[in-house]
Amino acid sequence: MKKLLSILLCVLLVCGTCCAALAEETEITFCVNIQPQLPLEFWQGIADRYMAAHPDVKVKIDGNPSSNVTLFEYQKTLLATDQFPDVMVMQNPADFVPSGALLPFEDGELDYLADPEVGKIGGKQYVANYKKQIIGVFYNKDLFAANGIEVPQTWDELVAASEKLLAAGIQPFSIGMKDGWPQAQLANMFAGTDLLAKDTHWGAKRNANEVKFNNEDLKKGMEKYQTICTKYAGDNLNGITYTQMLEQFFTGKAAMLPIGSWVNAEVAKNLQDFEVGWFVIPGDDNANVVSVFVNEGLSIGANTKYPEVCKDFINFFFTDKETYSEFLKSEQLFATTKEPVEYEMIPLRKNMEEQIASMQEVEGFESMTGDDAFLPGLKDYFTNKTTQNIANGADIAAELDAMDAEWEIANEALEDAQ
Amino acid sequence: MKHNKLHDILLAAPGYLVYTVFMIIPLGLCFFYSFTNWDGISKKYKMIGLRNFERLFQDASFFNALKVTLIITVITVLIYNVLGVFLAVILSKKSRICAFAKSAVFVPTVLSSVVVAFIWSYIMQTDGGVINTILGLFGIPPVDFYDTPLHTIVMISVIISWNGLGLFLVIYMATLNTIPQELMEAAEVDGASGFQRFFKITLPLMMPGITINSVLSLAGGLKQYDHVKVITGGGPGGATQTITLQAVEKAFVYNRRGYSSAIILVLFILIVIVSVIQISITKKREVEY
Repeated sequence: MKKLLSILLCVLLVCGTCCAALAEETEITFCVNIQPQLPLEFWQGIADRYMAAHPDVKVKIDGNPSSNVTLFEYQKTLLATDQFPDVMVMQNPADFVPSGALLPFEDGELDYLADPEVGKIGGKQYVANYKKQIIGVFYNKDLFAANGIEVPQTWDELVAASEKLLAAGIQPFSIGMKDGWPQAQLANMFAGTDLLAKDTHWGAKRNANEVKFNNEDLKKGMEKYQTICTKYAGDNLNGITYTQMLEQFFTGKAAMLPIGSWVNAEVAKNLQDFEVGWFVIPGDDNANVVSVFVNEGLSIGANTKYPEVCKDFINFFFTDKETYSEFLKSEQLFATTKEPVEYEMIPLRKNMEEQIASMQEVEGFESMTGDDAFLPGLKDYFTNKTTQNIANGADIAAELDAMDAEWEIANEALEDAQ
Repeated sequence: MKHNKLHDILLAAPGYLVYTVFMIIPLGLCFFYSFTNWDGISKKYKMIGLRNFERLFQDASFFNALKVTLIITVITVLIYNVLGVFLAVILSKKSRICAFAKSAVFVPTVLSSVVVAFIWSYIMQTDGGVINTILGLFGIPPVDFYDTPLHTIVMISVIISWNGLGLFLVIYMATLNTIPQELMEAAEVDGASGFQRFFKITLPLMMPGITINSVLSLAGGLKQYDHVKVITGGGPGGATQTITLQAVEKAFVYNRRGYSSAIILVLFILIVIVSVIQISITKKREVEY
């Protein structure tokens, strides 16, 4: 009897295990960038919609645990501890590709994108670019009008406008460095206008060690950036956070806000009591260059057990109208798909699109993609060291030399790893 | 009672196991990686001898981080120990005000350092911060706490001390309670003044507490990370970066885990050297009664 019972138990155990294995659902982890405009609920909504359409798949959301830890740092920690996600929001593919952490897309898999070639690294595409953002200067139209200022078309006009505002007791620019990154946007604009407009693939040349950071064009751009920071942006840049920057501008304390198009989401809230305008940072002779960020999108971890499910999930993100339009609307973004996507746009966003239609587009300097991308670590060096030191009045040539020295270290590390 | 060696080993084993897994092995790995060029991501790495250390001692940003760390350490050690001893003596009296003051000093200790850093960064905010708003009510112009790196570092040191002083105070008060009352009474009868009683009796007998607290505060200062991370993130341009902050940045932002391990190893050696010197100095001053 005991023997029979034991056999029965064993059979039940084996059957149970088999059934459990058969019933095991496919689970993928989706690592997202949680931020005020794209909170956890937004990403969870996408996962829920996908799971409703695919009941056999479970999508688990994982996001950077605190605003103090960037997504980039968090993902590196996950990779180092063998917890790299299946699908993820990717901002710095150049940092992960050398170690083989990302799965490349096959040709034709991203055909729903308008430009599936953008940002290829070594001929392979690792990111399904999901948004285009532009950087420029938001301005207070009422303050400009009250002081008889026209939208500046040249660098000299921008300086003259700033002087006029200063003389009227108005802080011309709102810039803050306490959060580390916002000030870099203005530096990116000048690098785009004075350097990349002349050579859009300057980044690839730097990576090939054919050119240096310390060059006349970038130096000129950084001199302009330093002038704005030291003369026209108040005297406590170090203590101003991104939120305070927005507050200074939207409460009318400062007349101009040099930042990315994501601030349209703030404009859309319509809390300001003035009309907001936008222009690109002017060059020496004209205002015809716009810096565009196309560095962010969705990637797949190379060690995922379910590459096809991950690709299908990414496909769903772009082709499900509700999902993609909601995403674009969050920050009034520019779509990257072939198919146009309709969403509720504010007039300023439409105006931006009209303005840049005839302009030369260059990639955002610090976030260039593909073979133009900075070597690992250099983007952060530029943001956290170079732009902050220059804004505090440091010697520009010395700072750019330091960038070149960092490049040598990063390149040596890369060569050693290969 | 019969001494059983196996019994002793079994009782100590869990402690040794935890210590080995969480201290000895990571330290060994840190030592090993400091001689490699590992990027923290790749499976491959090469042994590069002392190159990380050579680069470290040529790196101006490392010496700046060392300077920042030492400034924070000196300020916090002084506040914890000088103010700690002073407050312990003052607050050891039995009264309602002293009881309230003890609680007031201790409360920040139970708060997370991250929470404290966030609270203080709002208080110290140049534009719209609590302090500057209050100053504004009296027509006083705002103070920019972030105007120079040194001001910022001093501000952070004071915040760290505010956060941690309670713990040091508790240790000093406990030490103070071990001093026999008869000694003080005898000194008083012999005509010793308050100052004489403090410097000749109280302070020497508080030496064991001073030894513990100074080692703890010294090591805490040299390891400082969280307050600086929240308040300035090490900026602007790395000017307020501490050694630990730099090590984390090199490892996780710049993909230089080998170099970062070298930084941590140097910090470890620094803490060991300073602690040994410090313990040997204060131990000599401890008295028995």
